Amino acid sequence: MKHLSPGQIVDVAEGCAAPAFIAHAANCELCRAKVGMLLDAVRLAAEDPPHDPSPLFWPRLAARIGDAVRREQAPASSWRPWTWRLAPLGAAAVLLVIAIGVGARFRAGAPVAPADVQEPAAAASMLPPGEGQSGADPADDPSWLLVSDLSSELSIDDAEASGALPMPGGADRALAHLDHTERMELARILREEIAAQTPPASQGPGA
Amino acid sequence: MSTRADAWPAGGMQPDWTLIVAPSTEDEAGRESPLASLDDGSLVDACLGGRIEAFDVIVERHQRAVYQLCFRFVRRHEDAADLTQEVFLRAYRGLRRFRGDAALGTWLHRIGVNVCLNHVSARRAPETALDDAPQIAAAGDDPASSLAKTEQGARVRAAVARLPRKQRATLILRIYQDLSHKEIASALGTTVGAVKANFFHALGNLKRLLAEEAVGKS
Repeated sequence: MKHLSPGQIVDVAEGCAAPAFIAHAANCELCRAKVGMLLDAVRLAAEDPPHDPSPLFWPRLAARIGDAVRREQAPASSWRPWTWRLAPLGAAAVLLVIAIGVGARFRAGAPVAPADVQEPAAAASMLPPGEGQSGADPADDPSWLLVSDLSSELSIDDAEASGALPMPGGADRALAHLDHTERMELARILREEIAAQTPPASQGPGA
Repeated sequence: MSTRADAWPAGGMQPDWTLIVAPSTEDEAGRESPLASLDDGSLVDACLGGRIEAFDVIVERHQRAVYQLCFRFVRRHEDAADLTQEVFLRAYRGLRRFRGDAALGTWLHRIGVNVCLNHVSARRAPETALDDAPQIAAAGDDPASSLAKTEQGARVRAAVARLPRKQRATLILRIYQDLSHKEIASALGTTVGAVKANFFHALGNLKRLLAEEAVGKS
């Protein structure tokens, strides 16, 4: 009979081998030596006792794992990650609507050729007849209603993180890109707004 | 309540369907059962059903075994605690993939072995310092005997750390975690024959490494 395989040696050492293998190990010096080596190694390995921390450690570890599991669960049910994912989209929508609204306002006030006043279909459909005229209440402007609606869920932090806030010097750069007609129109709007905001009572005798 | 079809009275009308009752964590009055009284499978079901506190019971039940497994691999208390947390987090994330083919403890051992082997592969295993070994002598031990045991334990630990990955995992699961060869095969994703062969070679290598270390010292 050939010698026992490693698996059969293990079975003999653990006392669960078939009788034929046990009989072989009893008579074969080489296989008996292997079984002896195995039992000796098991005894040596068992000389390293288990590391048993303080009994106080286990409740602390369980609490720590429980906290980690709950932190793991929290993001899935939280609304904030959705806000963050939607923030760039919302910011882009806000910028688009502002651009359309400002463009419509310029076009409404400036005497330009018919070819230049063609409005995008979306913007035109948003503006009922008479809207967009200077002097109209901004609260009734559909553009502003859309802006306020889209941005109602957007916090200032989210908008800032998505780059939707004006950067320092941004107004100067925007002014530099206006042509002469646009600057004149801007000046007119500013004069109107300043006049509208200035209460008559605040004007002193020296004003 | 019996759910067996053959419990119907003989000769009476018998349904052509079999009633299967899914395990519930509620008693007959609709009250939630105490989680600690549930078996592991029911705890997993409860956890998947939204009772996160059921996972706390799983942790309490298995944290010692998982910690001991991790400590055998990394031999540092802080690292073992970190890895234990990682094992349970991975188990929680993958709880839906637990099919119940093996015991939950075996499944956790499987995750634990993977986490530990990845950890020890990513960083060089630290040399075992005698300071890391348990220092508290058992009552009645004389100091010299206690020191000798401590030194021998550290030598064994260092030798186990030098074994090839699969041999090391097999030896740890068999000797220190007391898993059967079948459970080890399930945990390591291999066959019982391969587990026994790895165990045999692991013990042979361990004996050789300890003998070499003893010769080197003398």
